[in-house]
Amino acid sequence: MTTTGQPVAVELESPPPPGPAQPPPRRRFGSIRLRGTLTAAVFLAPALITFLLFKFIPMGRAIQMSFHEVRPYLGDVWVGFDNYTRLLSEAEFLTAVWQTVILAVGQTAGSLIVGIVLALLLEGSARHLWIIRTAVFLPTVVALAVVAEVWRVLYYPGEAGVINSLIGWFGLGPSEFLNSSDTSLWSVMAVGVWRGAPYDMMIILAGLAGVDRTLYEASAVDGASIRQRLWHVTLPALRPVFAILITLAAIRGLRVFTEIFLLTNGGPNGSTEVIMTLIYKLGLERSELGIAAAGSVILLLATIALTLAVQIARRGRPSRKAKR
Amino acid sequence: MIRGRPRARFVTLALAAVLLGTTAACGSGPVQTEQDPNAVLEIWVRKPPDSASAATAKTLADAFTESTGIPTTVTAIFEDFETKIQQAAAQQDLPDIVINDTAQLGTMAGQGIVREIDPDQLAGSQDLTPGSWDASRTVDGKTYAVPFSAQSFALFIRKDWREAVGADVPTSWDELQALAEKFTTEDPDGNGSDDTYGYVVPGSTKRGYTSWYYSSFLWSAGGDFLTESGDGYTPVIDSAASVAALQWFQDAACDGTIVPDAPTLETSQAHPLFESGVAGIYLTGPYMMARFDENLGADKYEIVPLPAGPGGQASVLAEGENVYLMAGSANEAGQQKFAEFAVSVEGQTIGMAGDSDGNIVRLPVNSQVAISEVRQDERWQIFDEVYRDSSRYVPIVPEWTPILQNSAEAFNTIIADC
Amino acid sequence: MSRTERFDTALGFTSSRHPVTRILRWGVYVVCIVVFAGPLLSLLINAFTPVSNPTSLTLIPDTVTFDNFTRAFDRGVLGYLLNSFFVVGFGLLAQILVSLSAAYALARKKFPGMRLVLLLILSTMMLPEEILAIPLSLVLADVPFIGVNLIGSLFGMIIPVAAWGFSILVMTEFMKEIPVELEEAARIDGAGEFRIFISVILPLCRPALGVIGIFGFVMIWDQYMLPLLVATDTAQYTLPLALRTLRSDPQVGLGVLLAAALLALLPSVIAFLAMQRQFMKGLTSGAVKG
Repeated sequence: MTTTGQPVAVELESPPPPGPAQPPPRRRFGSIRLRGTLTAAVFLAPALITFLLFKFIPMGRAIQMSFHEVRPYLGDVWVGFDNYTRLLSEAEFLTAVWQTVILAVGQTAGSLIVGIVLALLLEGSARHLWIIRTAVFLPTVVALAVVAEVWRVLYYPGEAGVINSLIGWFGLGPSEFLNSSDTSLWSVMAVGVWRGAPYDMMIILAGLAGVDRTLYEASAVDGASIRQRLWHVTLPALRPVFAILITLAAIRGLRVFTEIFLLTNGGPNGSTEVIMTLIYKLGLERSELGIAAAGSVILLLATIALTLAVQIARRGRPSRKAKR
Repeated sequence: MIRGRPRARFVTLALAAVLLGTTAACGSGPVQTEQDPNAVLEIWVRKPPDSASAATAKTLADAFTESTGIPTTVTAIFEDFETKIQQAAAQQDLPDIVINDTAQLGTMAGQGIVREIDPDQLAGSQDLTPGSWDASRTVDGKTYAVPFSAQSFALFIRKDWREAVGADVPTSWDELQALAEKFTTEDPDGNGSDDTYGYVVPGSTKRGYTSWYYSSFLWSAGGDFLTESGDGYTPVIDSAASVAALQWFQDAACDGTIVPDAPTLETSQAHPLFESGVAGIYLTGPYMMARFDENLGADKYEIVPLPAGPGGQASVLAEGENVYLMAGSANEAGQQKFAEFAVSVEGQTIGMAGDSDGNIVRLPVNSQVAISEVRQDERWQIFDEVYRDSSRYVPIVPEWTPILQNSAEAFNTIIADC
Repeated sequence: MSRTERFDTALGFTSSRHPVTRILRWGVYVVCIVVFAGPLLSLLINAFTPVSNPTSLTLIPDTVTFDNFTRAFDRGVLGYLLNSFFVVGFGLLAQILVSLSAAYALARKKFPGMRLVLLLILSTMMLPEEILAIPLSLVLADVPFIGVNLIGSLFGMIIPVAAWGFSILVMTEFMKEIPVELEEAARIDGAGEFRIFISVILPLCRPALGVIGIFGFVMIWDQYMLPLLVATDTAQYTLPLALRTLRSDPQVGLGVLLAAALLALLPSVIAFLAMQRQFMKGLTSGAVKG
């Protein structure tokens, strides 16, 4: 995902494993390569050790839990794949998967597009832009509990509701928004885009900061219009940024939970049910930790599969190299 | 994934071995704890930290310490209380006492984190109302908690609105529905715009709110979730009476007498709708009085028992809180003493906290306690009468939560589908 | 002046002097503010009203009161705020250092197993924390290999957030963009790894540093599950715990939640403004960068 088509480690045949715990095997290496690996290990150690302790070990335990009926005080009971089959046979499961995918795709794409537009419009070093960018960024720093309340007010389904009054001027509505199964998923998605776009905007802005200004000048000399400049200079330069944004947003999208939990809790009529709200209902709310764990292992596997698929698909394409 | 290079696979395997190796030690069986009759009792209450009710819990614990000499600590946790319990159980470091909803009984007993209780061994157990004991027994007839507080629900009605539309206090469902319609259409707040509704309904599926709210109406209409048959239960949610009751619910949602955001409304979002004058009829508990008195004004609303429904009588949801004696305590004798103290006349009186909003005992479970002697506010009597005369707990089944959730999903669909 | 400004930004929109563009520009600004900040601010104004109507937004409250703030303070919000500051201060420092260091290895070093490491880092973001809560609490109570109990200590809320996949990956992506020639020049001059890292790579990462600083701040500031697991006493609570509690507390109204949220918002805005400085430096240095 992040290794934009660069065949970094792929050609190496017998490399020593990384990680601080593993002493390098006794073999003859080019000293530079060995030194590079050692340096990498040292620099990676803090992150990997922290992840090992606070992410991988709990993850391992969660995987273990998924094969048990978890009873902390009485001792766990091995149930094999029971938790998985119970979850997969749940009628709502496939719907939830489908809705999760729609939501993830919609929010990722929507946030990215709005984020690009915002970044392009608000790029610059003038003081007033600081303030405007801060205002735009507010949705990201306000507590989610408040964001949910804001949107409940905006979406209020009566004719007097804020958005209903607005669209009323154009002769539309009133819409039920969150409270009808026809519109709820889109309404939730709009909240996600509203909150996600400023996120993307910030990263794209940082990416724009790194674009070589002489290229702009050169394209102007060549007589390119601003549109051509955007298309041929700016967007290609931002490609690695987009790659990481899409990867991260997709991962975030698949495990979306709190927004929906606060806005609709999966309702009405299950129309906004996503994988995590279902796991919460079937597992955590009923204190069935084994089932919750099984659900999240499925989620984990699906996310990893998706990530690898994207990686392989990208590797298959002709490598476009960033300047290096 | 990594093109099957042997090294990478080795790393993966090694990592997996580390993970499994470090986790296999978890999840051993229950532990026998050495007993110490003077060990500190750790008490958890499901109340907001630093709130008036958390302070009352502290007062109760202090009075207990004074009378028995057993030291206590009180921890108030509100959101994600169950997560904290799960955590404590996983660490095998449970608190000694937990005061929590009666609805948690089945789950906690099933996980083996609460101790079984012999009511006959509990001093003062005969003073507790028989109904309250029902909420402390699991389906196999064993008792896993000591009842501590009870509550029921009644209609909160905007009195000024009712007078403005010239209606009387509703005494039947038809009158109630007529009142709701008048609230919706006759501009009871007189602001000139059509922005009011009849009922506040917390109809979100969260924590099963839709079902929790509507169960009182369902039962009063003669419907039910389950009925006892032989050794077990059979669902009767499709009986004629149940269907009629739900039809009534759907009609109210569709003709606009229920607030339009009901299908996603949580209780915390529902309260403001009543106090800010969006809707004028709200079936809720006595714990809301203090807040509505302050934010709306005690003179602006009245509390009325739910009228008898088509089922011939009112049958309102009863619930409450239990004292749970948690497993693995180092002071089992102290746990029992605390439970005895909590349900005693003294303990219950402290917990009721007069008329203040800091009550942790809503209605006393001890029949020796006269509400009127502790509380001047007569509205409590209404809740007490409802609780004694026309309320019922949810049926005792192995676990109510799945039924609550599934029915909440179904009811939620019914009111969202117009 | 106008020559360089024209090429300062991709669109040239914010620096154009054309009168039509100017008007259009301010139109765009107003729309942006109204859409993204407007609803939030008009709801937060309800922190000053005794009873807020949850069906409409106001800009001017009927009656102004500070009761909601008083109540929020009664609920210990000030103490939670201090805890949040402590956690975010040390947490963010650790997180930035760890991210920089890991990203340096991932972006600038060639080593075997890199893809695996990247996948592992990505995988840390794939499981929702609600699921990991119980296993994580076991780890916190008895950290493997070290045997320390972090439950009940603010450090238990700090150490686990020191490594965050998002920061590492974003930083890596930006570091890759730094021309390798600069590094090689320094190496030829005899600079060691840490010298190169500190004096060559780091200064060029400014915009990215701003990004991970801002997002890291928000991430740690919003942490909910971890403080919930670690805190054994309300004295250790952080603000998000208080916000969730106030949200569902039937004894207080929406106003108290909004008051607390408003208090929580101010530090974030200040942090955001401060970190934007990194951006600005990046923006201007980017213009001269060859």
